[in-house]
Amino acid sequence: MSAPTAPVIAAGGLDEESAADLAAAALALARRFAAGATLWCVSPSWAPHAHHVAVEFVHPVVVGKRALPAVAVTGPDPVAMARVSVRPGDVILAVAAASDPEVCSMMRRAQAWGAATVWIGNGPRPPAGAADHVLWLEDPDPALPVTGRFVLLYHLLWELTHVCFEHPGLLTPADPECEGETCVTCGDEGRIGEVISPRMPDDGRALVRTATGRELVDTLLVEPVEAGDLILVHAGSAITRLDGDGA
Amino acid sequence: MTPESTGFLYPFLEAEEHDATSLLADLAASARAKAAESAALQHSTLQECAGQIADAADMIAERFAAGGRMYTFGNGGSSTDAATLADLFSRPPHGRPLPAWSLAADQAVVTALGNDVGFDLVFSRQIIAHSGGHDMAVALSTSGNSADLTLALAEAKRRGLLTIGFAGYDGGRFATDDRVDFCFVVRSQSVHRIQESQALLGYRIWAAVQHRLAGGEGPG
Repeated sequence: MSAPTAPVIAAGGLDEESAADLAAAALALARRFAAGATLWCVSPSWAPHAHHVAVEFVHPVVVGKRALPAVAVTGPDPVAMARVSVRPGDVILAVAAASDPEVCSMMRRAQAWGAATVWIGNGPRPPAGAADHVLWLEDPDPALPVTGRFVLLYHLLWELTHVCFEHPGLLTPADPECEGETCVTCGDEGRIGEVISPRMPDDGRALVRTATGRELVDTLLVEPVEAGDLILVHAGSAITRLDGDGA
Repeated sequence: MTPESTGFLYPFLEAEEHDATSLLADLAASARAKAAESAALQHSTLQECAGQIADAADMIAERFAAGGRMYTFGNGGSSTDAATLADLFSRPPHGRPLPAWSLAADQAVVTALGNDVGFDLVFSRQIIAHSGGHDMAVALSTSGNSADLTLALAEAKRRGLLTIGFAGYDGGRFATDDRVDFCFVVRSQSVHRIQESQALLGYRIWAAVQHRLAGGEGPG
């Protein structure tokens, strides 16, 4: 008696939408690498996945493919580690459930840090816009992360990213200031910032980290703020607080 | 890459290429083809290995029931898959947690052994230190040839452990070494596709062991 073949193929296959998501993520990642990015890999519940992604990029299995900077962030406080490590232009890749509190926090902060984000997972999807690239498997089986399906997704991401390097003309976006969802030109409509210091001693304003660097921001409208809070910055002022988990 | 060799595939290749639409379509098609290839390989691997999975699960379940522990190990990406497999046994999504850990996980031990006695012995020396007669050694490799893994499996066999090797290609030295009790071979030439099938093999073995420990019989 032979097992039915169709369900196995379907379970491991990739639908058109997921394949398009993967292609877009690979091109964005290649563009960031070409501009000097480091890839930060995090997987609080399955640390080996973070290590596997990092080693894939650092030491490719295909001889001749370039080594790219990728680091697994697996310590006890990945948000703090990412905060101090991530530089503008970098990429954060998470392998985690949509409910993972540390990954949720990191993904929200990524915009203030100037980082692009890729989120791999399964089950209930993260809310729209939670990451720049969401590579998601709908199957909610809690065992899915250990069946090779995530491994397939990040293997493909690596393979496609290297295909992009064969197209140097496409590695520089047409308008570098308007890449993806963080548009510097339009930034004055409201940019996400993370409070570094709530009140600078000789100034009274808060020192805030945004995608473009550090700046002093008037926080009068949203007082009190604490280090780590996320705020929306408009014309030098914080106009709203973005979440309650920053403290 | 020269425009002559691939120009017919990518009409806008080279630095003047500005429209990513055709590249994105090409990448997506490539992703789907590779995913289908991976799934087909997983399916054929599971079919070919069904008997081995059942036999190995019988012996693993017996050893866990007798108080045995499982050590997993590999190099590079395979070391992370070995860690995932150990995590699956020790911290399962459901069922009974069982003692298993990755011998690559402790950087103090790995670097001490690598520096003092040589990298080929990083796992076998840990087998000597840890193992008891009911234990199990599981090596994950794509080539089946890595010296640190074959030496560890040989040491494990000498000490009465159950020895399991995961390999790709034609199975390499794992497949011909009679000190390897079970050799699971994923018949592919691609490291990535091999690892994807090995992950599913590991999961199926784990599921079959859980089934046996829960009192079930048969293929699980």
